Amino acid sequence: MKVKVVSHILEANDRIAAENRNVFHESGVYVINLMSAPGAGKTSLIERTIKELSSKLKIGVIEGDIAGKDDAKRIAKLGIPVVQINTGGACHLDANMINEVIADLPLKDLNLLIIENVGNLVCPAEFKVGEDMKVMLLSIAEGDDKPLKYPLMFQESSALILNKIDLLPYTNVSIEKIKKNSISLNKKLKIFEVSCKTGEGIRKWVEWLQSLIK
Amino acid sequence: MHEVSIAQSLLKIAVESCEKEGYKGIEEIKVKIGRASGLMPEALSFAFDAVKIGTIAEKASLTIDEIPVTGFCESCKSSFTVEEAYVISCPKCGDISIRVETGHELHVYEMDVF
Repeated sequence: MKVKVVSHILEANDRIAAENRNVFHESGVYVINLMSAPGAGKTSLIERTIKELSSKLKIGVIEGDIAGKDDAKRIAKLGIPVVQINTGGACHLDANMINEVIADLPLKDLNLLIIENVGNLVCPAEFKVGEDMKVMLLSIAEGDDKPLKYPLMFQESSALILNKIDLLPYTNVSIEKIKKNSISLNKKLKIFEVSCKTGEGIRKWVEWLQSLIK
Repeated sequence: MHEVSIAQSLLKIAVESCEKEGYKGIEEIKVKIGRASGLMPEALSFAFDAVKIGTIAEKASLTIDEIPVTGFCESCKSSFTVEEAYVISCPKCGDISIRVETGHELHVYEMDVF
């Protein structure tokens, strides 16, 4: 017998993401879901952002990795509340993983929570975790063909941060091509050019971020 | 890459709605997967065959309808379909004032139950 069931496959995830979002909003925390390929500089960007903003905002971090506690140790050194999630193989964070660690963070004391997703340019874009905004990072050495090869993350993100611009002289990458194709995929995308190594461009990014947080 | 978790989610939706209505088993589950969803149909079928074991959907087949990326161009007022997983400009006139209409589907839409 045929039965109709119109149901979105990620409905269960989206429901938990909405619950997380409610908890974050009630606590007055603005939440960023930070995504990129492995090695693009997510943790370095978080460190830079903390250094610039920790005198103005109370920041917390959730680190997502397949294995290891290295990233959480880096953040903890800065005196910031941090929780490490190890997905044990899963290629992305989902809403339930975030739901399970919410109680480990002093949410009521925070203004900004940065969730560092698992390094992967594909899967994290599909799973809401309860964020206010998705931000993606692309290090320029990854190549200017990435927007059209991995379109979903560019389409889902509100901001694109191009990192490692200090390496531009050593590559054949066209930053204009990255920007043009990214904007073609997502006309509302806000783009920042930074170097987490030298600090160039970081101020513009943190000022914009700060302007979003009431 | 995460076809296993998608397979688990769709199985859960199917099994729960089947049990709620008092059916004993599932023979077929039909899903719509958009080409822009990032999922590989072969990998999803493979994952589904692994996760269905020991459930009331153990003997169920998975039928995947792949939905192409389609859209409408506001400039030349025409509808289009593309082969790629994304579209950045109208394939007919090249204008970027386009509206993507399908391709992001990820739905269970029908089951054959007993």
